[in-house]
Amino acid sequence: MSTDTTDLIERLAGSAQPVRRLAPPWRRALWWCALALAFVVLGALIGPAPGVARMMSDGRFLAEQVAAAATAVLAAVAAFSSAVPGASRRWLWLPLFPLAVWIGTIGQGCIADWARLGSDGLRVRADWSCFGPMLAVGIVPTAVLCLMLRRGAAVRPSLSLALGGLAAAAATNVALQMFHVGDVSIMVLVWHVGGALLLTTLAAWLGRWALPFPGQQSGRAL
Amino acid sequence: MADAQDLRFSGLMRATQQGDGAAYRTLLAECAVIVRGVVRAQRAFLQPADIEDLVQDVLLSLHAARATYDPARPFLPWLMAITYRRLADGARRHARKAAHEVQVAGLPVTSAFAPTNMSEDIVGDPELLAAALASLPPGQREAVELLKLRELSLREAAAVTGASESALKVSVHRAMKALRVALRIK
Repeated sequence: MSTDTTDLIERLAGSAQPVRRLAPPWRRALWWCALALAFVVLGALIGPAPGVARMMSDGRFLAEQVAAAATAVLAAVAAFSSAVPGASRRWLWLPLFPLAVWIGTIGQGCIADWARLGSDGLRVRADWSCFGPMLAVGIVPTAVLCLMLRRGAAVRPSLSLALGGLAAAAATNVALQMFHVGDVSIMVLVWHVGGALLLTTLAAWLGRWALPFPGQQSGRAL
Repeated sequence: MADAQDLRFSGLMRATQQGDGAAYRTLLAECAVIVRGVVRAQRAFLQPADIEDLVQDVLLSLHAARATYDPARPFLPWLMAITYRRLADGARRHARKAAHEVQVAGLPVTSAFAPTNMSEDIVGDPELLAAALASLPPGQREAVELLKLRELSLREAAAVTGASESALKVSVHRAMKALRVALRIK
């Protein structure tokens, strides 16, 4: 063994301190979901809560929100799981199923809107009114998720942050629907799902920068 | 056999997470051997010192990520995931470095090949050079003498002449331009 490596081992062993083990991914995801749920409730409290009233009467809308919430939960589990080296990769596929259901129910809504309103039901327009509330309910869960991921060791940082971005965007969508006056589905598809996919792509791009692997800089600190 | 080794590593890591320095030393030493084997197999073209650098990278990451190990799970997949991630980082670092560096072969200072000494030949006539220098205005000539022939720094030359550094820069630039014209250098 090289002398340098032997020295390094001596220094690392000499600085050994008890460490607090990272909680399992599902438990970390649960903590994050509790926080995100608080923001969904906040959304329901600060707005006129048309979402809650609509959920009670509209089965498709309820299915859409359940699928979005399931996407958020499973994407969070997958993101935290991906930040543990050597963890099973099967978890990474989990959010795809509720994501497909989420997009499918919105697609079904688009068809219903088209049948009801004709071409007006498929018209996309700019709606900046929900941008402020989206930031209000989305920024804290997104930042917390990013910080929690940094405590792990993301072997594939782009994938971890992309999954985190998907979880945050899906949770923000549910919170937003709590006080968003019922829009046609195409608007939800373009702005909400489009925004979620954009955030996921942006997160994937920033992954390597935002989630450096532990120990990349510590050589100088020793 | 592999399971027994994994269980042993798992036990050592559990003790490490509780702050046992002796267990950690044993674990790191044995991991270093395994990691070195993987690095050698994956990066056979590297020099021994570079291989050792990568082994140390992996050990540092193992140290920084030790809280992420769950003793209920096998140890070696955890170690291998870290190893392959750091190998990929190393390859990326190498590619980035190579993109910003130009490898230059050691060129001979003198050779029988005429073009090597071509610039020497052009200004090789000391009388012509002296005449060209003498034809320069006094300020420019002084600037060339101090900065180019005596190789003073701008600050030193400014102190000698009393001129500002920027005035000296302008003088030497104009002088070099005039010398190129006088010596017919393109």
